[in-house]
Amino acid sequence: MKSLTRNKEIKGPKLGPFSASKTKRVQSPLSKSDSVVKVILSLFGFISASFIVFILFFITTRGILPFITNNNGLGSVNFFSFISGTVWLNGPTFVSTAYSAGFLIINTLYIAFLSLLLSFPIGVLTALFIAKIAPKHVANFLRTVIELLASIPSIVYGLVGVGLFLPAIYSFARSLGYSSGGGSGTLATVIVLALMSIPTITSISEVSIRSVDESLEHASLALGATPTQTRFKISLLAAKSGIFSGAILAIGRSLGEATAVSLVAGNAKSGPTFGLFDITSTLTSTMLEGLKETTGIDYDIRFSVGIILMVVILLTNFLLNQLKNRIGHQYE
Amino acid sequence: METVFKVRDLNLYYGKNKALNSISMPIYKNKVTALIGPSGCGKSSFIRCLNRMNDLIDDANIEGDIQFLDHSILGNNYDVISLRKQVGMVFQKPNPFPMSIYDNVAFGPRQQGIKDKKTLDKLVEQSLKQAALYDEVYDRLNTNAYKLSGGQQQRLCIARALAMQPEVILMDEPTSALDPIATQKIEELINDLKDDYTIVIVTHSMSQAARISDYTAFFYMGDLMEYDLTDKMFVSPQLKETEDYITGRFG
Amino acid sequence: MNKIKTKDTIVNVFVGLSSIITIVALAIIFGYVFTQGKDLISFDLITKDYHARNYVAVIENDTNQTFEMPSFDDEQVYVSSRYGIALIQSQDLAGDSVIKVAYIDENSPFTTMINQDPSKAQISLEEDAVVSRITYVNHPSSLTNKGAQMMINDLNDPEREIFEVMFATTGGGIRGSIITTLYLILLTLAVALPIGVLSAIYFNEFAKKTKLTKVLRNFVETLTGVPSIIYGLLGISVFVPLTMRFTPASGSNLIAGALTLGVILLPTIIRTTEESLKTVSDDHRFASLALGANKTQTTFKVVLPQALPGILTATFLGIGRIIGESAALIFVLGAAIKDQVRILEPSTSLAVHIWSMMTDEPANIALSSSIALIILLIVLVLNIIIKLIASMWLKKGQV
Repeated sequence: MKSLTRNKEIKGPKLGPFSASKTKRVQSPLSKSDSVVKVILSLFGFISASFIVFILFFITTRGILPFITNNNGLGSVNFFSFISGTVWLNGPTFVSTAYSAGFLIINTLYIAFLSLLLSFPIGVLTALFIAKIAPKHVANFLRTVIELLASIPSIVYGLVGVGLFLPAIYSFARSLGYSSGGGSGTLATVIVLALMSIPTITSISEVSIRSVDESLEHASLALGATPTQTRFKISLLAAKSGIFSGAILAIGRSLGEATAVSLVAGNAKSGPTFGLFDITSTLTSTMLEGLKETTGIDYDIRFSVGIILMVVILLTNFLLNQLKNRIGHQYE
Repeated sequence: METVFKVRDLNLYYGKNKALNSISMPIYKNKVTALIGPSGCGKSSFIRCLNRMNDLIDDANIEGDIQFLDHSILGNNYDVISLRKQVGMVFQKPNPFPMSIYDNVAFGPRQQGIKDKKTLDKLVEQSLKQAALYDEVYDRLNTNAYKLSGGQQQRLCIARALAMQPEVILMDEPTSALDPIATQKIEELINDLKDDYTIVIVTHSMSQAARISDYTAFFYMGDLMEYDLTDKMFVSPQLKETEDYITGRFG
Repeated sequence: MNKIKTKDTIVNVFVGLSSIITIVALAIIFGYVFTQGKDLISFDLITKDYHARNYVAVIENDTNQTFEMPSFDDEQVYVSSRYGIALIQSQDLAGDSVIKVAYIDENSPFTTMINQDPSKAQISLEEDAVVSRITYVNHPSSLTNKGAQMMINDLNDPEREIFEVMFATTGGGIRGSIITTLYLILLTLAVALPIGVLSAIYFNEFAKKTKLTKVLRNFVETLTGVPSIIYGLLGISVFVPLTMRFTPASGSNLIAGALTLGVILLPTIIRTTEESLKTVSDDHRFASLALGANKTQTTFKVVLPQALPGILTATFLGIGRIIGESAALIFVLGAAIKDQVRILEPSTSLAVHIWSMMTDEPANIALSSSIALIILLIVLVLNIIIKLIASMWLKKGQV
């Protein structure tokens, strides 16, 4: 089609040839002072974004040292036995370099998933109750309860764990005929972590459940399904993506939790530990253990454990998110 | 002619607002009854009374009586769940569940405890055929229902309702969200269904009501203005308001 | 149908049970902390030193007055009206017999003593202090093992003149940790708020929506998934050396701790600020620009003030986080409880104080619970404040 712009019938000022170039976004240019301000602000933005890089860089470089340097004459730590071994330290402290964190990886994952086993049903069912069943005032009350649980610092969970759960588990184990390290161990850690995870799972699940399209629930009820059937077969199903995300977040936090775990785990020097009443240790509890009086390689090696922790968290997050996407596209 | 629903002096309130005023009318078996009227006239509220979906609205209050198969359905002790098994509903916007086509249709029967795969297979196939959808989806029953077009999804919702083998199917403006071709398919479907089911359909389209219904009820501002055989009402309406609405003078 | 009803009922029982479990959990936590910790809560707790200290002091002025002494019910209390002091036979935490000060008149000569250490500072004997020994001129000393009654008898003996008093304060106060926590809050917010708010302003108001800004934003977001112990590692590998380079600090110090906490708070501050910036309607921005103001003026004079409630919320959230943080600070600040707090030296916050005591043998559960109780109450108050801000903000928006 011929260009209509050359119509000589048009009166008025002569318009030059139209540039047939790409459309430009109309935007007023920034004044000089604005540009300066923008640059200053962008600096802050960059600083904020850079911290994650710093974290990765510094911890990795410092954590790699024990593997590649001589550690002041003590010899380097063998990387492969570090990630695969079952005993934290073979030999005298501050002298030996035979560290391994392999069993810690297994313990950490084992404990995190066990605690999810406990916290997931409680969290999701509570969320369902708040979102769909409870009358308004009860729902608000429960929401506040959850918020309060979420804002309790981990050290307090650790304190209650030591003061309340350890003695309880100790007597419980004894009544079953098991010996336990004063109650410390896997079960104590799992319970404490589960308690800490419930608020996360509940709040995220509640939001997901509430945002389910009402029309789906109506359709289910109109088919003669009971309200309970509707909630479980439709509401929870439609919210499953959000619920899963909540669980992934909770696991991430459980993997990284340090102070509470260090107080109730029992600090096992070898492993892996699967028994509920046996003492155990995790990547984080090992990093904190004995921090008050330590130095040299015993101190530096905690950075290496830190690297392992970050890798474990990243990998777990990645794999679980893949799983989540796969489940979401089940019917493709 | 058998009556499936008998409605007598039905009043419906949402809080302090009266939505339905002393409605009395029958719903005849194996006939298509259309409810027409301008927006907000109460026709959707009325249809929701028939399967007690208004219970879901917090401040809804009902007076009067509705009898389904000669049993009053408005009592507090009445088993609403079983009512809904016999009175199915299709909604304005297609709302299939986030599941496969098969699971959507099988949902209702499954909740009733039917587990046998063969029974379910037969039920699903039968319902999809009745909804005129089977030929289009028979080879992909396990795919996500959301992949269907709008018209197909609505037919899926109809199949889903049919799987419960209800007496009555309530349809709340089932084609208003669909294109003309999909609409036509569903209208043909309704015509076929009425041999086996009783259908009550809310529609804002006069022509649709004229095309597919046997009886028409004209609602206006919460009142039932006129109820008659469709042919009669559209040719010689009794009230002026009815005539004005039908001829498009308002609404 | 009945099978369905029974199934439904069982399921609903579990649902109700789960909700009850959460309530019970909250009650147990608060209940435990309260019952274990309430006894130690007192004004003294907040003002006393943690570490027990021994003192040797001499009386400055011996006024020769007689003091009116209150009566005591306890038989183990012995009174000296000559010196305005009452001593009680008691036990220390280890169960050994000690002599404690049950009462001391504010004008008692024991309130104006001179510490015999190099400082020669004025020092006072206070209630609850443990008196180990009183030595006299040319008379045998009163010792702990002779008992409180004997010590009082010696004091009341008009022929005796006091030479020195040896006593100990019981410690167990948390003043040092409280001051540390306050310092941390101030310093951390001073660092994190500007950086966070200005970053948020950049991302939301100035930055173009390019791939780069998306990446930057992602980098900030990933900070939220980092466990706090890792931040501790960042603190000792970056902030401690940094502060050692630029300040007289010679090791772990509070400033490094504040910087570490600042990074922890950063993503929350940025996210909350951005959200509240987003709620400011574009109409305001347009109106300001249409009046001829430039972008900077618009942002800082029009948009930012309206986002203030959000920033306030972020601040209080941050304070809550600072008070509760433990793992990172254990690494960066160490776990040595101090009574004299200096910004360039290590110390403990309230949370770390708990951890330090809980990892001692034996763990001091009573004092830990008291601190935990204080922390929980503060967190409770902060939560209420945040809710109030939110509701006031909503009300404002409806005007």
